[in-house]
Parts: sequence; C-alpha cells; structure tokens
Amino acid sequence: MRPILELRNLKMYYDTQAGQVKAADDVSFVLNEGESIGLVGESGCGKTSVSMSIMRLLPENARIISGNIFFDGRDVVKLSNDEMNKIRWAGIAMIFQAAMNSLNPVYRVGDQIIEAITAHEPNVTFEEARQRVASLYKLVGLDPERMDNYPHEYSGGMKQRAIIAMSLACNPKLIIADEPTTALDVIVQDTILRELEKIQRKLNMSMIYISHDIAVIAEVASRIAIMYAGKIVEMSDSVAIFKRPAHPYTVGLMSSFPSIRGEKKELVTIPGEPPNLLNAPDHCRFVPRCPFATDECWKAVPSYTEIESNHFVACFHPQNLKKRVSINA
Amino acid sequence: MPDNEVVIKVENLNKFFPMKKSVFSRAKHFLHAVDEINFEIRKGKVLSLVGESGCGKTTTGKTLLKLYEPTNGKIIFLGRDVTHLLNTDDKKWFHSKTQMIFQDPFESLNPRKTIFDIVAEPMNIQNFGTLRKRELMVMEILKRVGISPPDAFLWRYPHELSGGQRQRVAIARALVMKPEFVVADEPTSMLDVSIRTQVMKLMMELIKEMNMSFLYITHDLAVARYMADEISVMYLGRMVEHADSEELINNPFHPYTKALISAVPVPDPEFKRKFVEIRGGIGKPIDPLPRCRFYDRCPFAMEICSQKEPELIEVGENHKVACFLYNHERR
Repeated sequence: MRPILELRNLKMYYDTQAGQVKAADDVSFVLNEGESIGLVGESGCGKTSVSMSIMRLLPENARIISGNIFFDGRDVVKLSNDEMNKIRWAGIAMIFQAAMNSLNPVYRVGDQIIEAITAHEPNVTFEEARQRVASLYKLVGLDPERMDNYPHEYSGGMKQRAIIAMSLACNPKLIIADEPTTALDVIVQDTILRELEKIQRKLNMSMIYISHDIAVIAEVASRIAIMYAGKIVEMSDSVAIFKRPAHPYTVGLMSSFPSIRGEKKELVTIPGEPPNLLNAPDHCRFVPRCPFATDECWKAVPSYTEIESNHFVACFHPQNLKKRVSINA
Repeated sequence: MPDNEVVIKVENLNKFFPMKKSVFSRAKHFLHAVDEINFEIRKGKVLSLVGESGCGKTTTGKTLLKLYEPTNGKIIFLGRDVTHLLNTDDKKWFHSKTQMIFQDPFESLNPRKTIFDIVAEPMNIQNFGTLRKRELMVMEILKRVGISPPDAFLWRYPHELSGGQRQRVAIARALVMKPEFVVADEPTSMLDVSIRTQVMKLMMELIKEMNMSFLYITHDLAVARYMADEISVMYLGRMVEHADSEELINNPFHPYTKALISAVPVPDPEFKRKFVEIRGGIGKPIDPLPRCRFYDRCPFAMEICSQKEPELIEVGENHKVACFLYNHERR
C-alpha cells in the first residue's frame, strides 16, 4: 500500500493576545491509499486544527511552526498559495462541519457543483460538467432532477448528500469529513455513513473522518487516532483501540459511552474537564484527570511509543497489558 | 405524598400550530405538532420522549409546562386540572412546582446576570424567603451540582464558565425550588463526551435524592436507556410505542422503533448492525391524512394502514404500540 498522506511532527499554534495556543502539537500519522482513519476527541482537542492545516485553510493568527505534511509526495506546508489552490478540491476535498449550511441559498444546488468543476478544470464544458453532476447525484443517492432546485427545497439529509457529491466532483484522492453527520437524525446518519463507505470502497479513496462520537468512528474507520489536548495520545487499528485501549483517556472514553446493545453497564465518568491549551504544561496533559497518574507523569511528556505492532500510545502507564502480546516478548 | 402517586397525567393532548399567510388572514392549514398524546409519570420516575427532530417531543414538553397553550386535551398535575390556568395564584403555584432544563447552556443563561442572580431568579419571582435564605439555598444547590466552592462562583458571569459548568448552573436554577416535575430538553446533547456522562450521572443522583419526576427529551436512544424508567417513541406528533426502557430496547414492536434502534451506531468495530430498511426523511405533519403517519416509509405497510390511523394498544405489560401489524383481532 502506498501512503497518500503523511504528517510528520506537525506543530500548529495560534497566536492570541493571551499567549500561544498549541492546537496541534507534534502530530504524526500516515494514511495509506484506500484507507479510512478516524480522528476522535472532544471539542477543542485540535481535530479540526489538524484538518485545516492539511487543507492550509488557516486563520491569520495560526502558524505551522514546524513539521511536514506530505500529500502525494509533496510537502503541503511549503507550497505556494496558487499551487495549494490546485490541490484543494482536486486533490483533497473536505466535507465541513454543518455542511448543509455551506450551500449558497440563492444559487441552484447543481450549479454550485458545476462551478466547483469548471473552476478546477477549465477544459470541461458546461454540458459535460452537468452530466458529471448528474452521475454524482446518482452515486450519492439523489435524484438528478433535483439539480435545478434551490437549497431550501432540500431536506437536511439531501443537502448533506449534495455536499458529498460536491466533494467528489473533481475526483479527489483524499476526503476529510469533519463531523459529516453530527447535525442529522440517526436514520439519516445511518444512510449517509453507509453511502460514504460504499463510495469510498468503489472509488478507492482515502478518508479522514473527524468526530467526537466513537460509535460513528467505530463503524467507518479502519484505524483510529485518539486526540487529547492537541496531541495524538493513542493510535491503532479500530479493533485494538476498542478491545485493548492502552491510554487511560481512551479507556475512560470507552466506558463513558452509553450503548444500546448488550447488558446495561454502569457508566464511568472521567473526572474534571479538558485543559486550556493556552501555555500548555510540559508534562502529560491528561495527568490532572488520570486515575493512574504517578510522580513521573508530572515531570515529563510521555513519548509516543509502539507497544504492540501498529499500536502507538503516549503514556507512562499503558493499560490492558494482559490482553496484548508485547512486541518485545 | 404516597410514593406511587401520579404526578402528571396527560389526556389526549393536542397542540396545533396555525399556518397563516399573514397576520390578518384566517389559518386554513394546521401543523399537528402534538396529536392525541396520552401518558402519566409517577413520583420519582423518569419518562423519556424519543424521536427524530420535528417529531413534536419539545413541543410536548413545552406544552406540559404551559409555555404553549394546549389546543385540546387535559393536563392533570398533582390531581388538579391545570390545562387552562387563569388565576394568578394558580399559575404561581403551578410554576413553582415545575421547571425546565434547556438544551443549550450557552443560550439559556442570561449573559448579563451573575450566577447568583440566575440561580436565585425562581425564588425572586416566587417571593420566596429572605435574601439571606436565598443566598444559603443558592450556595447549597450549587455545591450539590458540583460547582464548588460555590462562593467563588456566585458573582461570576456565564461567559467565565465552561459548557459543562453552565449546564450545571442551569440544573441548579431548575432545582433550587425543589420542583415536583422537571422537563429536560436534550440537556446533554451540546456537551462533550466526558462532560456528558458527568452531567447524566449528576441528574440521575439528583432525581433519586429529591424524588422528582422527570420528562427527559432526547433523540438518543442510548442516553434514554440510561436515564429513563420508561421510553415513549414519537413520530410526527403521534406516540407510536411506549414501554419500560429495557423492554423497549430489547423487544421493540413498531417498525419505526426497530429502525431507530438499528440505526444507532454501536461502539464496537467487530459488531455489524442490521441494515435499516427505511429510506427517506421525516416530513411535516401539516393537515395529516387519517392514516398511519409512518405509512410512506414503512416496509410493512398494508392496505389498512392507508385507511385509518392505528390506536395505541396493549401488547404486553405496560407495553403499548400503535401499529396494525399487531392488532389483527381488533380490525
């Protein structure tokens, strides 16, 4: 498998009047072609900052301090704005949070997608673009006749489908879906997720799903990265993350989620609240909330190490040791 | 008060919204937001209303607390008919015993008021106790909901608090007068995962401690399972199924309930869910035809479903369902 995206020690900080906010601190991962990974974390943990860095859609006070983002062999961090414009949408497309509100209400939905196509591929005629949109509509499960409708004539789920069609318009290699179904009802969410999965497999695309909902991520992603306070604290394939979580935060997340399947289990809470990323401390950021913390944790930042094959964790006291086959053994 | 007493009872409750073209014209069409709803909540029990957005669950909650005037039907609270309260004293009595917790703690707290003013407001309105007494009660309830030390927060403003703390303040405001009945409208859906569980646990403790009755409105069946003793599923203004929580989750009857349950994502990558057979989205119940509201989307729709509306019938102990699949003998 060929890597399509590689993040190497990405550091993205916001400069604010109160100080530096370390929104993404030393984030590294590799995404292979045709693979889907999930980025999980609470609000303010830096998931969206990571995706905005990949797209280079950063606000003025944000800076990529160091690190590389290799997309298809090229370092996105070093590209000029013009070159970046070509990669956006044609190479990397993004489905934004609350995407249904990102359609322009005064233009027909179909025309908005056609505009995206003709902007990136000037050789395509209007008719060709229209045909492509019609086939995209079929792909995402919309009636092509609805192309000439305005956004207000669509339901929430249909708008979301239109946005997915738009993200596919220029055959991107990578799609970043930032909370693609958060505002939708469960039944609509279910159909959209299945649609996305089907399209991804059909077109062999790579996907990054961003969500706070581990249940949604469990269904769509083959690998999962857990983010906490600007850092990836654990990353592995999804079965390992759910069956033998190593980081205490992951363990807490797993047991604090209500499930409708199986026995009704007592919910466990993670005490405290996520930290402020302003002037982040130089020890493990989860320490104040961690039930396993020792003196060691207050002194240094734990390094990001491989505890079993392809299972990385940043913690001095990884959990569920017995369930794992150690790579050193 | 005996433990098993019915605190609030709703009989054939209706709430229609007129769809007017202009202020002066007479409404020709009506949106049936709540249509013939019946239920009762006993002391210390939690009933959860579950459904997709636009199914009328919030309208039901607001109508119960008289934030909307019901179009039709009866609301009986502590044995008194409170459907139409005209007298100021009666209104005061009713509102001192009922409260609401809203979804968004960023919008439900007045940004210009201090935490003390926010939590003490119900007491001010009710002219309850002296200022000293109010202060003590505010401190006590704030401590109870986990805002501690309370005196450090009394004079702060909502913008200085995190989302979780704000929702705790909103809960404190609702509970400071020790109400008999509380409507909670998606109180945890705006909160982060780790904070959400904390707030859910806090509410469950408080319900037990203060022996309150709760109407818990949510779209999330998994949350309803943890919070509620009984669950009612609503669809386009109608109640389609009602049962004890575990019974409803493990043994659903109505095709819509089944679809809802199988559409909930499961936090287990090795578990493959059954395919949801239902397509399309939810419409709006404007002048609904006299037929099952789920008819268009139902994979089991029969001829009779398009001819009349199914009634809620008993299919098990405290388990009711409104579907023609289950009442052959009554047809």
